[in-house]
Amino acid sequence: MRNSTKPRKVVDITRPVLAKNEEFAAANRGLFRDKAMLVLNVIGSPGSGKTTLLEAMARHLHDAMVVIEGDVQTRRDAERIEQAGCRAYQIETHGACHLDAKAVAHALEQLDLDRGECEVLVIENVGNLICPSSFDLGEHLKIGLLSVPEGDDKVLKYPSLFSRISDLVVNKIDLLPHLTFDVERVIAECRSLNGDVRVFKTSGKTGEGVDNFCRFLLDERAKILVARASRA
Amino acid sequence: MRNSVRRDAGVHEFSLAVDVLGIINEAVGPNKDVRTVHLTLGPLSGILPDALRFCFTELAKGEGYGPLELEICEVPARMHCRDCALDYEGTDFTQSCPRCQSLNRDILSGREFTVDWVELEED
Repeated sequence: MRNSTKPRKVVDITRPVLAKNEEFAAANRGLFRDKAMLVLNVIGSPGSGKTTLLEAMARHLHDAMVVIEGDVQTRRDAERIEQAGCRAYQIETHGACHLDAKAVAHALEQLDLDRGECEVLVIENVGNLICPSSFDLGEHLKIGLLSVPEGDDKVLKYPSLFSRISDLVVNKIDLLPHLTFDVERVIAECRSLNGDVRVFKTSGKTGEGVDNFCRFLLDERAKILVARASRA
Repeated sequence: MRNSVRRDAGVHEFSLAVDVLGIINEAVGPNKDVRTVHLTLGPLSGILPDALRFCFTELAKGEGYGPLELEICEVPARMHCRDCALDYEGTDFTQSCPRCQSLNRDILSGREFTVDWVELEED
């Protein structure tokens, strides 16, 4: 229904709405390539153990890992990462439910990346299985983190995320003996959306599987160095 | 414009509505005579048409636009079955192949989200 009968002029636009985000993501990608950093975008629910997993990773990667924390409010997560011995920058979104590439670009300016070696940059997104999945930050790996207490039925409930991730991390596996959670169901449902997904099983609390995950990250980082050497 | 808008609606449709309005602003300038906005939205974009419509019309009102319609063209997703090679259309991620029922498929399209054209009222 039209609001009035006045004549109308049509202006063609034809632009992807996420193009602005893509521009920032592309600039971030360029910076990551220059610095030869491996970059992860970690997406999971509040309380799924994202920060605890990062603390466990800090015990393997030490100060080679740098973290950008995304939360609605507080510096709590950044403080935990700093206590674990890594540099961290906290983004407080003040209400927004996800990080976008522009917010990450700003955080990258604040982090002095020329100071010390940064081999692995982890961006811990705002705890949410929906909104962060739409925004490319320029990362190499999009990690979907699902913890055992959340239940084994979540993959098909949040397909937008689980169809886009490169890696699925099933976390809090130390709780498997106590809860009904079919890991194979989770993996099968994730592969039905996303045939090429890699799977890791971890416990941030006990450290189980974290060494394997970190080894994989360092291997991926080594591939970036090889690619850079072959470009030079 | 972005700084004048509180981005605390708590849904990503709100920040995307800000981006849609920004794109329109870039295309037609600070012209408040925009009456209809035509978008294309794929079913796998992760964006809810109703939430986007609500956020966008509220936002536009706050920015001084007159009555504004959002026409959303919802296009289907296209999938390719890896098992029986059928190309088929769907409206969500969990749609299996209509021929062999397999969920083992490649997603060819369905994440579209574009501003296509706007209609301006002329005096």
